[in-house]
Amino acid sequence: MMKKHPRFAVVGHPNKGKSSIVSALALDDTVQISDIPGTTNKQRSFPLKVDGKILYELIDTPGFQRARRVLAWLEKHDVSADKKHDVVQMFITEHRGDSQFNDELELLEPIMQGAGIIYVVDASKPYGKEYEAEMEVLRWTGQPSMALINHIEETDYSSEWKRALGQYFKMVRTFNPMTTNIEQHVSILESMAQLKEEWIAPVKESIKLFERYQEQRIEESSQVITQLIYDALSHVEELSLSEEETTTDEKERLEEQYKQYLRKLEIATQKKIEKIWNHDNLQKKQTFLTFKNLDLFSEESASVFGLTRKELLITGATSGAITGAGIDLLFAGHTLLLGGTIGALVGGAGAYFGFNELSEIKVMGQLLGKRYLQMGPMKNRNFSYIILGRALFHTSSIATRSHAIRSVAELSMENAFKEKWLDDSLRTSLEKYHKKFRSLDEINNETLKEYETLIKNILFKLIRH
Amino acid sequence: MNLKSYLDLYELLKNDVSSREERRAFGLSYGLGKSPLDQVITWTSRYYKKLKSPLLSETFSSYMYGVTMTLVIIAFFLGVFSGITLLSYNGHEPVNVVYFMAMVIVLPLFTMLLTVLSMIRSQSAQSILVHISPAYWLEKMLGLLPNAMQKSIETFKINPLLSNWIVIKRSQLLAIFFSLGLLLSLLAVVATKDIAFAWSTTLQITPEVLHRYLNLLAFPWREFIPTAVPSLELIEQSQYFRLGDSLSDEMIHNASKLGEWWRFLVFATLFYALFLRFVLYLVSLLGYHLALQKSLMGLEGVNTLLRDMNEPIISTHALHVEKISSAVQKNIQHIQKLDTSYDVVQGWAIPLSKLTVVIDSMEVITPNIFEVGGGNTLEEDSEIVHKSFGEVLLYVKAWEPPTMDFLDYLEILLESVDKVIVCPIGTEEESYKAKAKWVDIWVQKLSLLHNKKLWVKI
Ligand SMILES: Nc1nc2c(ncn2[C@@H]2O[C@H](COP(=O)(O)OP(=O)(O)OP(=O)(O)O)[C@@H](O)[C@H]2O)c(=O)[nH]1
Ligand SMILES: [Mg+2]
Repeated sequence: MMKKHPRFAVVGHPNKGKSSIVSALALDDTVQISDIPGTTNKQRSFPLKVDGKILYELIDTPGFQRARRVLAWLEKHDVSADKKHDVVQMFITEHRGDSQFNDELELLEPIMQGAGIIYVVDASKPYGKEYEAEMEVLRWTGQPSMALINHIEETDYSSEWKRALGQYFKMVRTFNPMTTNIEQHVSILESMAQLKEEWIAPVKESIKLFERYQEQRIEESSQVITQLIYDALSHVEELSLSEEETTTDEKERLEEQYKQYLRKLEIATQKKIEKIWNHDNLQKKQTFLTFKNLDLFSEESASVFGLTRKELLITGATSGAITGAGIDLLFAGHTLLLGGTIGALVGGAGAYFGFNELSEIKVMGQLLGKRYLQMGPMKNRNFSYIILGRALFHTSSIATRSHAIRSVAELSMENAFKEKWLDDSLRTSLEKYHKKFRSLDEINNETLKEYETLIKNILFKLIRH
Repeated sequence: MNLKSYLDLYELLKNDVSSREERRAFGLSYGLGKSPLDQVITWTSRYYKKLKSPLLSETFSSYMYGVTMTLVIIAFFLGVFSGITLLSYNGHEPVNVVYFMAMVIVLPLFTMLLTVLSMIRSQSAQSILVHISPAYWLEKMLGLLPNAMQKSIETFKINPLLSNWIVIKRSQLLAIFFSLGLLLSLLAVVATKDIAFAWSTTLQITPEVLHRYLNLLAFPWREFIPTAVPSLELIEQSQYFRLGDSLSDEMIHNASKLGEWWRFLVFATLFYALFLRFVLYLVSLLGYHLALQKSLMGLEGVNTLLRDMNEPIISTHALHVEKISSAVQKNIQHIQKLDTSYDVVQGWAIPLSKLTVVIDSMEVITPNIFEVGGGNTLEEDSEIVHKSFGEVLLYVKAWEPPTMDFLDYLEILLESVDKVIVCPIGTEEESYKAKAKWVDIWVQKLSLLHNKKLWVKI
């Protein structure tokens, strides 16, 4: 059963970072990774798919447990090199269901079905002879192979490893699953493509796709951030008032609600970003959004027919003017447009002074108007850069974080981060949009798109350096 | 495309009815080569059936229809009554055509100017020009009436641009019906009564000047229907001074002629109040349509929808969720310090040369040293087991995880000796001191054997 697309089986000794490498290359943070050897005990496939079509497949496997026994079995069948592959197949057939060789069967099966071998070692530990049995077994399969050197710790024994691996593998590469970035990712894929000639084209296509995938995610992130900034800057929190006088308690409550809204907005946005970058399971530590020195104002306001006092004033004045003008017309100009002027004054004044009365009139049990305390839109200009800076920092940290890392992410933004993305000309262009967002005017799609492009460019710089 | 598509899409996006895969499949099969607007509309028309009824679009449309109908009726009757009032002839004074002209020429021109301005300003969220339209606040007032319908559309926030254009469009419709009312009343009054029209103004306007003006105003129809333009003679005859004697003899003499003003008034109404307004209505329809397109594309979620349709779905993750392995127990006999001598010392995958150094550094004495595992064959290992007896110290590399191969060996060994002490060691660089983290893993693994003869040095 040969599959058409390239497949790569990541194999090796237990606990050497096979799952970590797969996790990093497949951008999947759900892979079980742990200090305990034998964490993986079933092969797992990680296909790269575009619209359902598989371009290549990575396969995580359990580590070798009884390599010497397998090798002993194979060597009992002394055959010529061209038959060795069949002997391995015989081994698999004969031992299917034998729990003793569960791990070996799991890892040999994909290889025997045509997968390329990626043999993972940890070069922060010394080389040992016990590895030779497993490398020999792999050689028996006759499948194309390469070695991948990982460094779990700081110590370095890579020169002795390279000498040993050179005996068994044509290609030996170094890869750190914890600190990998897109360049290293691409470069490792390029090496994998070299294993077999017919794999070069599909893997090349996959590399292009990976780059597109990252672009997609940067675009999605910019959209989410744009929405965050727009929502945050334009948000107005309202608190309906019952009494004549606004109490300090009400003011505090409103302020707390307002802050809470913004904090929640930020948290929800971060969740979305983490989802976009396949970091759903991320645990993080970070400081909350603070509002120090931001001078939050609350204002008392009211509306009648859903119109604010100012709007009603203008409406009143204009309709007064029109009525007045109508009277002028009826008097055929005798009034010298006095009607219009008086009408405007009366209408405007009526609306202005009548506002409170109007707001208390009940029509069929419903109050015509309502009084409320409101806070926002955010007047402080700096706040835009605080919340945007935090979003950019979070996004770039998440986007560059390897999926192999399982530790808690410490997201502490240094002050210097600002210098990485914000300069005067950018500030000028951003400010133009922030002003629009704060104005509560209708923001059309194009404006948001333009802002999104600005954000996208910043993210590109931050993520791809 | 109509308001229904907009509302359906709004609801669809809010209730998120389709998965990313469905959207992409749709994009691949229906969306290729189409404009984004087309894609969105086609998508809406395919998916709106999935919405739960009552559809917002239906509720809203019937609400809009109701409000518009009510307002149209009010406007029409207002027109009729205004017309009747303006044309009422009390028997003492003739009907002053100036009033009526103001109503069908000046007022429409003025409000049309306001309309054009509000069209230009329709972008701003709370355009005052839109707010002063009767159509706007009449609806606001109607909206105060308790109504079940109100509830369901309350949460729905329509795009301000679109709502501005709805008001603009509706205002034009109201004005048309108002003017129709006026026209109807004019025709009715003319048909049923015999009225004398006259004109009068405080301003110093001679009949010649007025004639020039009226001729100018009548430019659209004066060529075709010359009788619908008052002649200079008629104008002179129908001038009327309130301050003078009641009615001049001449006026009384020409009373029947004075009625001819009505043709001019009808055509003025037809052209200024109705035709121009109708043109403006068409413009407002166009503007409304564009606003609808714009708002449709501006709905929250449309960008995502379009991206989902047009961007390939790339995925890299595993197909199935992995089962999480359960925690392991740690329960084994251990010692803290090695004895000074053992019957046999073995090193698992530790070459003899290294092994002797380790033994020396730990000040252990033994007559029998063996390397097991590593490069040995299984036969070589079992021979060593045969040679082993009593208390065996078995060194292992702490950093290398215990494999089943090792456990197999350990089990055979345990069968033929009295006691085995497994001692994990660190690397040469670590002076053979094993890190606790690695020792821990060995302890976990060895606990699984549950063997009384097995000890670990920690
Ligand atoms: N610091 C660091 N730790 C690593 C690296 N690679 C692997 N690890 C750690 O090494 C341990 C084992 O990693 P896994 O990826 O689970 O190893 P595995 O080969 O899949 O192990 P099994 O499935 O048990 O055979 C985990 O605790 C990882 O966090 C690395 O490059 N750097
Ligand atoms: Mg694993």
